[in-house]
Amino acid sequence: MTRLPSIRRRLSWLLLATAMAWGLAVSAVVWLAVRHEVNELLDDTLRASAEVLHGLLSAGGGTLPSPLAAPTAAAHDERFAWQLVGAGSQVIGRSARAPATPLLPLPTYGFADVADQWRVFGLRFGDGARVLYVAQTRAERREAQAEVALSTVLAALAVGLASAAWLRARLRRELAPVVELSTLLARYEPLDPQSRLGPATREELLPVLAAIDELGQRLARRVANERAFSAHAAHALRTPLAGIDTQLAVAMRECPPELRPRLDRVRQAAGRLTRVVAALLAMFRSGVELQWQAVDLAGLLTRLPVDGLEVQVDATAPLQADPDLISAALLNLLDNAIRHGAGRVRVALRQEAGVQHLQFDDDGHGVAPAQRAALNAALETQAYEGRMGLGLMLTDLVARAHGGSLWLPPATSGFSVALSLGHPPPSGEAASPHV
Amino acid sequence: MRLLLLEDDALLGDGLREYLRAEGHVVDWFSTLRDVQAVQGEPYDAWLVDWQLPDGSGLHWLATRRAAGDRTPALMLTARDRLTDRVAGLDGGADDYLVKPFAPEELAARLRAVRRRGLGAGQERLQVGDVDLDLAAHAARVAGLRVDLTAREWALVEALALRAGRVVAKADLDRLVLGADAEVQSNALEVHVSSVRRKLGRELIETVRGLGYRLATEAAR
Repeated sequence: MTRLPSIRRRLSWLLLATAMAWGLAVSAVVWLAVRHEVNELLDDTLRASAEVLHGLLSAGGGTLPSPLAAPTAAAHDERFAWQLVGAGSQVIGRSARAPATPLLPLPTYGFADVADQWRVFGLRFGDGARVLYVAQTRAERREAQAEVALSTVLAALAVGLASAAWLRARLRRELAPVVELSTLLARYEPLDPQSRLGPATREELLPVLAAIDELGQRLARRVANERAFSAHAAHALRTPLAGIDTQLAVAMRECPPELRPRLDRVRQAAGRLTRVVAALLAMFRSGVELQWQAVDLAGLLTRLPVDGLEVQVDATAPLQADPDLISAALLNLLDNAIRHGAGRVRVALRQEAGVQHLQFDDDGHGVAPAQRAALNAALETQAYEGRMGLGLMLTDLVARAHGGSLWLPPATSGFSVALSLGHPPPSGEAASPHV
Repeated sequence: MRLLLLEDDALLGDGLREYLRAEGHVVDWFSTLRDVQAVQGEPYDAWLVDWQLPDGSGLHWLATRRAAGDRTPALMLTARDRLTDRVAGLDGGADDYLVKPFAPEELAARLRAVRRRGLGAGQERLQVGDVDLDLAAHAARVAGLRVDLTAREWALVEALALRAGRVVAKADLDRLVLGADAEVQSNALEVHVSSVRRKLGRELIETVRGLGYRLATEAAR
């Protein structure tokens, strides 16, 4: 079964994605702002360092002491460097980390970048023919920026994840009334006057509850009317049918012998009408909800108004089904059997993998393989109209009402019908045997 | 048997009356509870009662009769076929329950079962001297020779057989044999008694002076 979209799951993912996107966006903005400030701060530091160094060097009259002219490497990893470049672009003095060639090919004052390695600040030195460069490694800057970015992103992600978790829990709590409503609806029985949906716990659910309650009341009224109609219809139809049959029986006794075959045919037709009416009444009376019961097949078949058929029942356990509906189905199948020349019928019940299989075989005329295939195709798609009689159609509807299906298996002789029926839901425990 | 048929449907009521009369029964047919008051307390061999009548419930009427101590066998004839209905019908006093539409042949068979229960097991054949009566087949023989009895004569023999060992008052026997026609045919019973005695022998039906009639002791088990 395809998993349907879940409001809770969808909202959870949406909240998580929003929290993450929001966190990342905030991180990006923070990172840009911090990077700008860090660059400014480092530039200021670079400028200040250059000015201090310029002052120190200028104090010596522009003459560099020899250690500075020939620097030795410092013990630590230097992140800053300086160069004093003369008029002929020769490096007059430099720190140990500074390259032996000028940092910039032409005298440059102020800030400049040297490839991806240095951030340089140039100051005019002495007579103006010399330039003092103070530089900071780009790696140092990148490291500072990366640390800031990483801290910001991690903080944003942590806040985003915590927010998402909190929102998810909150969402679950807010959707709890909807889940409770689902549970209430599953237990709601509109036909039971004691069954109530209960008061709404959220304003948004009020119209839903009101609509369901109204629907339930309409359904209950409709079912009550149909049941009342069914009871009246049963009386109004069954009694005249009994009268017709009885009058025909009297007439057959009193009539001249040559009229008896004709009356006998009329009586057989009345018998068929009786069976059809009984089946339709049973179908109609079954209503909207199946009345699952343990049905004694043999007992049920003896009560059906069918004469002239030898019925053999092969069932070791009761059938779990709605007795009215299964009566209607069996009546239709028996009626079909009679009309198609059957004298014997076998009804067998077996259980297999949680499915009840009811097989109906008669010794009547049967159908050709091509016709059987066409009937099976029509049954599968429920394209009944014009393709089959009332009997098979009603029987198929009964099987489907029980969560099963009907098909016509091949038969070497006669006609076979196979019904598969599901089992009652766990809440609908089977009642005492229907006899 | 004398049958009380309480059925409001004219087609069915008329058909059943004719069918059961042809089976040899005496049938009094009523359509309403008000009409049936006229025969309250009269002897019947069985009641055939519809549940749903124009002026009330046939089952309620039956329950009232049972409460009054009347044990006449009763069959409910009804369109109500639910399990709960059948249980309510049988618990309400019916001895049998027949769901409409039914074949009259089945009703006749159930009435034969009622008669068998009334006669007792294996007592559908009565032997009195050289008279052999088969109540199921409506066949009578005297010294091995078949004797034909009319429907009323069989009704007379059957009414006495169902009350074997008991004296049946003439008024009751009048009703059991002649049904609602009894009052207009005041001496008809004697005619039928006389006819049966002539065909089957005088000793079969005893006259208990001042009380009524009784089937001969030998036949009465």
